[in-house]
This record gives sequence, C-alpha cells and structure tokens, in this order.
Amino acid sequence: MTLETLKPHFPWITLLVLVVLVGALNPSFFDPGALMLLMADIVPLFIMAMGMTFAIYIGGIDLSVQQLANVVTVVATVYLANFGIGVAVIAILIGFLFGAISGYVTTRLFVPSFVSTLAMGFVALSMAKWLSDQRALSMDATLRNDSFGWMFDTTAGFPNELIIALILLALAWFLQTRTTFGRSLKAVGAGELAAVASGLNVDKVKIIAFAISGAFAAIAGLMFSVKLSGGDANLANGFLLLAIVAVLVGGTPLTGGVGGVVNTAIGTLIVMVIRAAMVYLEVDATQQQMVFGIVLIAAIALTIDRSKLRGIVK
Amino acid sequence: MSSSTAALPDGPRRISRETLVKWAPLLVLVVLVLLFPLFEWLEDFRDGKDHIYLLDSRFLSIRNFARIAISASPALMVAIGVTFIILMGSIDLSMEGTVSVCAVMFALMFIGMGGTLASWAFLAIPGALVVGAVMGFINGLVHVKLKIPSFMASLAMGFVGTGFALLLTGGDRIRVEDEAFRSLLTVRWFNFPVMCYVALLGLLVAWFIQSRTTLGRNFYAVGGGEELAKASGLNVNRVRIMGFTLAGVFFAMGALLAVGRIGIAETATGNGFMFVSITAVVVGGTALWGGIGGVWNTLIGVLIVNVINNGMVVIGLPNWVQDGTLGLLVIAAVVLSTDRRSVSFVK
Amino acid sequence: MYELQQIDKHFPGVHALKSIDFKIGRGEIVGLVGENGAGKSTLMKVIYGAYQPDGGTVSIDGTTVRFQNPRQAMDHGIGMVFQEQSLITNLTVAENIFLGFEQQFVRWGVIDWKALTAAARAQLAKVKLDIDPSIVTAQLSFAQRQLVELAKVLTLEERVDGDLVILLDEPTSVLAREEVELLFQLVRDLTSRASFIFVSHRMDEVLELSDRIYVMKDGEVVDVVAQADAQVETIQHKMVGRDIDKEYYREQKQQDYERTNPLVSFRNVSHAGSFQDISFDLHAGEVLCLVGTEGSGREAILRTVFGLDTPTSGTVQIKGETITHFNAQSGVARGIGYVPRERKVEGIVSGMSVYENMTISQMGNYATGGILKIGEERALARAWIEKLGIKTPNEHKDCAGLSGGNQQKVVLAKWRSGGSDIILLDHPTRGLDIGAKEDVYEMVRGMCADGVGIILVADTLEEAIGLSHSIIVLKDGQFQQRFEGMPGDKPTLFDLVHHMI
Repeated sequence: MTLETLKPHFPWITLLVLVVLVGALNPSFFDPGALMLLMADIVPLFIMAMGMTFAIYIGGIDLSVQQLANVVTVVATVYLANFGIGVAVIAILIGFLFGAISGYVTTRLFVPSFVSTLAMGFVALSMAKWLSDQRALSMDATLRNDSFGWMFDTTAGFPNELIIALILLALAWFLQTRTTFGRSLKAVGAGELAAVASGLNVDKVKIIAFAISGAFAAIAGLMFSVKLSGGDANLANGFLLLAIVAVLVGGTPLTGGVGGVVNTAIGTLIVMVIRAAMVYLEVDATQQQMVFGIVLIAAIALTIDRSKLRGIVK
Repeated sequence: MSSSTAALPDGPRRISRETLVKWAPLLVLVVLVLLFPLFEWLEDFRDGKDHIYLLDSRFLSIRNFARIAISASPALMVAIGVTFIILMGSIDLSMEGTVSVCAVMFALMFIGMGGTLASWAFLAIPGALVVGAVMGFINGLVHVKLKIPSFMASLAMGFVGTGFALLLTGGDRIRVEDEAFRSLLTVRWFNFPVMCYVALLGLLVAWFIQSRTTLGRNFYAVGGGEELAKASGLNVNRVRIMGFTLAGVFFAMGALLAVGRIGIAETATGNGFMFVSITAVVVGGTALWGGIGGVWNTLIGVLIVNVINNGMVVIGLPNWVQDGTLGLLVIAAVVLSTDRRSVSFVK
Repeated sequence: MYELQQIDKHFPGVHALKSIDFKIGRGEIVGLVGENGAGKSTLMKVIYGAYQPDGGTVSIDGTTVRFQNPRQAMDHGIGMVFQEQSLITNLTVAENIFLGFEQQFVRWGVIDWKALTAAARAQLAKVKLDIDPSIVTAQLSFAQRQLVELAKVLTLEERVDGDLVILLDEPTSVLAREEVELLFQLVRDLTSRASFIFVSHRMDEVLELSDRIYVMKDGEVVDVVAQADAQVETIQHKMVGRDIDKEYYREQKQQDYERTNPLVSFRNVSHAGSFQDISFDLHAGEVLCLVGTEGSGREAILRTVFGLDTPTSGTVQIKGETITHFNAQSGVARGIGYVPRERKVEGIVSGMSVYENMTISQMGNYATGGILKIGEERALARAWIEKLGIKTPNEHKDCAGLSGGNQQKVVLAKWRSGGSDIILLDHPTRGLDIGAKEDVYEMVRGMCADGVGIILVADTLEEAIGLSHSIIVLKDGQFQQRFEGMPGDKPTLFDLVHHMI
C-alpha cells in the first residue's frame, strides 16, 4: 500500500477518525436527533459545494457561487409574492445563466475561470444590490410557509431538507457517472488534450459544468433564503471558503479529473464535524475562518496532482 | 546581417496590437474624464440651466479630484503590490486578509505604544510593513514550496488573514484618533491631503524597484519566459517568494492609508480590495499572462476604476451599478490583452 | 582541447549513446549530423551539461571534468545556442544578454543601466550586430535574435579563463539564405575566440562550414569525415544504411487499392506558417506516408485533416464533401480517427478505464437520451480486447496502467470500433518495443484490408517505406517528391533522404 494508492481513501478515513475523535470527546455527538439537525443545517453549503465540484472537476474554479446565492436570496424574497413556488424555477435559471456566461467567457474568450467567475460574481452582486435596494428584506411568513414550508417538515422522521440534499446528490451522481455528459466531464478533467483529439466538444462540456455550478449555487441560495426567511446582498457571505474546503477535503483535487459529488458529500461532512468539534471545544467562532483557511491549504497540498501542472506552478 | 531589418512575419499586425494595448488604458481614462462632464452638461441642458461644458462641471473640479485621489490612494498601494505578482504571471488574492491584518496589527501596536506619532508609536508604521512582508513571505512559501497554484494559495491565505484579523479584534473596531496620524487625511497641500503624496511616493518607490533593481527586472524575466529564465540560471523560486513578500509590504502601505483615511482599523478594512485592485491592474494594461505592463499602468488602472466609481455618483447613478460595471470591465480588459493565437486553453 | 572518451548514456529501455569518442580542437568547427533519433541531441546535452553520462570521461585540456548542470558547463567555457528561441521577448536585448548575471552591474542595489548597456554593446560588437541594446527583443527579426543569442553565449569569454566551445543547434532553420551566409562568415571570424559544434539537418550547410563532420547513427559515431573528403551522398548513406526486413513490415500482406473515390482529397491546401500548397488523394485501402524532418509540416497536415486546424487556403474534401467548417467533432462524425503522437497525453485519457477510453469518441452510440448503456460499452471493450489481444486484466483497468503498446491498441480500438475509415497515425510506434510495433504493423494491414485509408507519419524512414503505398516527401512545408511504394518496387532510404534535406 503506497501513499498514492491510499490517496483516494483519505477523505472517508479522515471523516471516520474525526467522528471517532469528536464522539470520544463528546458522546452526545452521536445523538441521532442532534446529528440529523447538524446535517440538515449544512444542506445549503453541501448543495453549493456539489455544484462547485463540477467546476473543479474540469480543472477550473467557480468563485461566483457565493454572490449567486446572494442574488438568489434577494430574488426569492422579492418575487415570492408574485410567483410562489415558481420562484424556484427563476432562481435556478438565474444561476444556470450566470454560470453559463462564466463558462463562455472562460472557454471562448480565454479568461481564466478564477477571473471570469470573480467578475460575474460582481455582476451578480450588482443585481442583488439593485433588486434589494441594498436593504435586508424578509419574506412574508404566510407566503413562505405556503410555498416552502414543506422544506422544513420531516418525512418518516427525516428532515425534508436532508431528503432534498440526498435527491440532488443522487441526481448529480447519476449525471456524473451514468450520462454522456458525465463521461465527457471526466475526460475533460482527466485529459483535456485527449478529449480534444477524440473529437469531444470540450468547450460545451466546460460551459455546462460552470452552468451546473451556478444552478446548484442558486438552489443553495434559495434554501438558505427560505431557511432565514429573507434575503440580502450579503446573506450568503462566508459560504465560498467552506464550499471550496468541502470539495477539496472530499478528494476532488484542484487539478480535476478524479473525485466527484460523493466525495464532496464526505467533504461536507468533514466540514460539519470540524465545526461541531470547534463548538464543543469552545473554539471561538472568530477562529473558524482561520482554521478552515489552514485546512484548505493542507487539503490542496495533499490532493493536488502536480504532474498535471507540467512543471510550472503559477 | 546587422543591417537586415527583416520584420516579423506578422510584423505590422503585432505592432498595431501592441500599440493598441499599450495606449488603450490611457485613452479610456481620458474619454471617461471627458464623458462624465458631458452627462452633467446634458442634464443641465435638459433642465435649461446655464452650463459650459467642462468649465462648469462638478466632476471636473479640484475638490472632486481630491476626492478621487483620496479613494484611489490605498487602492493604488494594494494594486501596485499585486502588479508585481501579475507581472510574474502569477496572481495574489490574499490582499483582503493581509490588509486587514496589517491594519489591525498597526492599530494595536500604535495604541499599545502610546497612541500618537509623537511617541514610540511611530514604530507601528514600520511594524505594520514588517507584518505585511511576513504575510507575503508565508504566502509565497505556501505557493512555491507546496507547489500550489498562486490563485488558490493566496486565496486560502487571504481567508486565514481575515480570520486572523477577526481573532485579533474579536469583531471590534479599533479607533486610531491621533491627530498627527490622521493628518494623512486632514492636512492638505495644494488641495490634496498628505496621503495622496504618500501614495505618490509609494508609486515612485515601486517604479524604482520595477526599473532599477535586479528583482524588479527579474519579475519581467519570469513573466516573459519562466523556463528560459531558469535556463539562464535565474533562481525563479527565490524571485517568486521575494515578489510575494514585496507585495505584502505594499498591501501594508495600503492598510496604513486605509486606516489613515477613515481612522478605524477592523476586520472589514480589507474588504473590497481584492476585486478593485485586480480590476485596476488588468484594466491598466498589465497582462494576466505576465511580462507586460508595470506600475504606471496600474496608476492608470486605479484612476479608471476610481473615476468610474466617482463619476457614476456625480451623475447620479445608483452605486450598485459600480460592481457590475467593474465586473464587465475586467472581462473586457483581459479579453483585449489576450493574444488568442498564443493561448491553447485556459481553465 | 575538449574531448569525450567512450561516453555511454542509457535511458530506460534505450542505449542512447554507445561509447562515443569525440574531440574538438581550438578554433575548430565540427559538424554533427544524423537522423532524428540517432543520438545527436543526447550527445549535445551531455556536452553542455544537461545530461550526465553513465560511462566514459569528459576532459578539457587533458583534465577530467564532470558537469552536474549547464551552469557548471558554462563555467568551463561551454555554451549552447538553442534551436528554440531562448530569448525572453519582453526584456531588452541587454537584459537578455546578461540574464542571471546582472549582479556585476548593480551598485548599492541599483542597476547601472548605462554600464549594462555599454557592456551589451560590446558583446553585440563581437557578432557585428549594430542595434541599440536597450530595445525590446520582440522588435528584432529572427536573424537578429539568433545573433543576440550568440552574443549572449560569448559573454562566457569574459567570465571564463580558457577556451570556449559553443554549440549551435540548427542555427539556420529560421534564417534566409543571405542571412545564413552572414552567420557563417561570422562564425568563421569567431574561431579566433571559440570552437564551434554545428548541428544542422541541412547537409550542404554542414559541409560548407565544418572542418570535420561526425556522422551519427543509432547512438554511435559511424564516421568522422574531413571537409576535403566529405560528400553529401556518402554521408547520407552512412546516416541511414540499414537493411529492411520485408517480413517485419508485413509487406507480403500489402494489397493494392482502388484508385477511385478518394476518401480525403487535398487541393493546393496551405496553412500559414506550417505547410504550403499541398495536394494529394487518399483512397480506401491505401497507406499514404508523409515524410520529412521535424517541422516539415507533416503533423500540421494530419491536424488539418482531422479538423483541429483550419487551412488558410485551398480545398479539402472528405469523401467527396468539401469541408468549410473545420472542427474535430465533424471530423469524427465523418469517420476520421486520429492517433496522436503523445499517446499518454493526447491518445488515452489517463485516469479513465479501458472501456471508457474506447467509447469516448462515440458515446452517442452507447447512450439513449444521454444515459449511457454501460453494459454495452463493456461488451464492446471485451470484444476488442480479445480481437486485438490487449493485455489488461479487465475492461475496468485504468488505461494509464497499461503498457505503451496496449495503450496504442486501445486508441486504435476506439476509432475502429466506432467505424472510422480514415485513420491518421502520428508516430504510432514511438516508444514501443519490437513486439508491440509488429502488432501495430499487423493492424495497419488489417485496416487496409477492411478498406480503411491511412495517413501515416512514421517513426523511422524504414517504417515509412515498409508500410506505405505512397510516400510524399515534404521539406519546410513544401511538397518535394512523391513515390509509389508497392512491394518489390519501393523507394530506397537514400531516395527519400535526398529530398528531405
């Protein structure tokens, strides 16, 4: 067993070790009800991270997800009265469209994805500020409960939020492993030049990957907005770091090609356990960001495939 | 052979392209400076007021220029820092965290050592610069030694920095009310506050480093052809780490001016610097691929960004337009500066 | 003065240099010729310190030396003028000349531009180039850049005590005829300062400039010829002289082909900067081989057929249909399969399994509504694993873990299983062992028998001759000569080399 063959197993081993550690420190961590709540709590982040997985899988990055979620919280709050549950469709369309534009700018206009998504994020921010008039908005309680109240019910003892997350995970997993698109995604991530030489429409695949990332970010924003019953242009700030961390500690490296949405599920759980541990150890909330920043550096350093960087690391 | 002046196969095209890329930023700046007064004139003309184009412009007044210069000064320092990195073909996204940490550390040191420039507290200024250098140095180490692409290494370091600043302040604001220090903003020479001259001095220092030191020239060598520079015996890793360290120092300069401007140091001091500075650098004409551009380009870029922000307010556009405009501007600038024939694919 | 004795160099699976003896005297110009793969570039890398030999000794004036890196070789007076432009184009000429050695011009941390420029001007004077050293290198012509590179190497003169040896790797490839003349005159003048090792594929130039010529073949020096005795033809014979084994290339299986309804038809096709005015037809069952040196335009023609490059003029027809939009997707849809040279990077997708690699170009055939039928994919893979004898435990194995020959079979299976009938082979046997090469030859014959048209860029000239029905010789992107190559009536190596260089 070499380090390389062990590498794919790092994420779940890490998760297991962390769970055991946290459980040993604090046996109440295993209380099913509390655990379920913890998991339900992290669902919006998970969905965002799942979308981000697609962008990272092809070797790109999506820095716009946080701003997309922001604009969606505003859109959902503002248009809930007009469209009811239909606002979900609008939200997802907005996310998809923003993502597709980022993808187009990246692939066809040769702007690196960290710049194009950063820039599109600011366009989204503009839109959010405009729609919200730069105020924190809140949803009408009745309307919210009529349209989206079901999200926070339980089915057979399981929070519906968690069920939504599982359904989306199943969908994303199916897309990734069982469809021609998923296969193309893998080819582009693992060997872009070979994909080109095999006649794949690489640009299209990449644009769709960014669009999916945007759409999932929108779903995350929508759930977050409903959860907090409101929207504002900064509501989802703080998601970006955790989403990237979740993808990378899950084992989808920055260089793409391996890993996937199931890995991101594990990565999100790792994030959740670390957070729970910090709460239990009474680590100040102000230190969390620093901790996750360092976790991020460690995760990248451990997962990145340096042979793909071809000697030059810029 | 010496007399043979055979042009490149695609000579004329390349030259025109280069000329365009070289002068476009300045042209844009000039057009903007003429454009905003035009909107003002149009508005007054519609309202039937007397208004001589340019002369009666509120935008085109010393007072407003001072306003632009004040808001541009901290951004200029930060943007100059990242210019060096972009010249090498790398990127530094850590500025928000670094600026916050430097600002907070400065304020803590300043107040801890007496709270006025007239005491030992002036040491907080070099202290802050050292803090910036250390942060940049760590950033460079993480990037070079762990072989992590700079955008990700620096983004993560930025998060760590913001987190660290939060840890230091516990979320509180620290007021720096020393009059001597605040004279950065309050004392004006020829209508412009002292901080503008400090920024100008910073620019000159940066220009000196860029054009007169081995390090500065090596940035261009690394950006122009890293492999070739290596083959010529250049220690590229050392140049990179020193570049990030230098950038950290300029981020600290930006932090000092930012604190001087509002008199408050807090975790949020660094907010917004990332996008503004990157935008300014690329809009100024420094290519994201490295090797082309420099600190004067960045000055133009910073002015463009700040003129747009200020001009929009002057002509009464809501400020939410700014973020989106900058977003589109940065995409346009990168597209314009990219020679598409030389790029195979990007991620 | 500078001498190599019995130098050996091994790479995994290759004996790249076999007991090479080489010496160069003060002020001498030595030519080095050989086919691609003969070991020229390995030898050069040993000389300038990029490679360390496994055996033998390197000595300068009788003292044994050993270089760990090019910098150490430079410290002993050995400099290299690279074939690829090694100047950084956004720096000034002066900066390029002294890159990495600026410290001598730094006073109190400040670069003394005046001193740097003056020193650069002195270096440029050595190569008689009268340009302002403070202009940006990008503004120079290629010929001028070549001289600047030479000037850069000549800075060794001031830094090193003792004699200089300067390697010139294909220095004339970007120069016009009169520029070459000037360069040669300059090199001759400079022999008062340095010795030169001159590497070029232009035989006439090597003969013109060199005092002695080393001829290499298969990692050995097969002859050393003095200029007075040198003749192009004898040298060329020595470079290539090998016997061709008909059995090896499966010539007995070579069938004639129908000369109607071409699959691919080029009419006066040009692509700026890579090839000009190329015309040919490829028929079903034909192997058409493009022969030429590196950079002669062979690969660019393959890429154009596949659709990765768009020609700047001329007409390309695939199966009678004129192509207007060039992209790889429609190329594949028209039945073109491309087997690229960089097998590990462009051929297979490392990290994907055997069956995934086989269907990557034809996923539509194994999916309904975008949902893959993985069972069918695997069945296909199993069938082709058996058909081509691919050695893999199963179809789930990561392609990166297969041997080179089996990877190549996977790539071929990808195109053949998808029904491609125009196959472009770019160095299909590069890096394969002999058994795997024979498998590839067998497959080439098999495909022809099935009516596939093949355009081949072969790894060696023997392979080109052995496999092909028709050969087109290219040089610098220009058509040179066409040969027919039916068994029993094949052109000789010499016929081809004669037109190549």
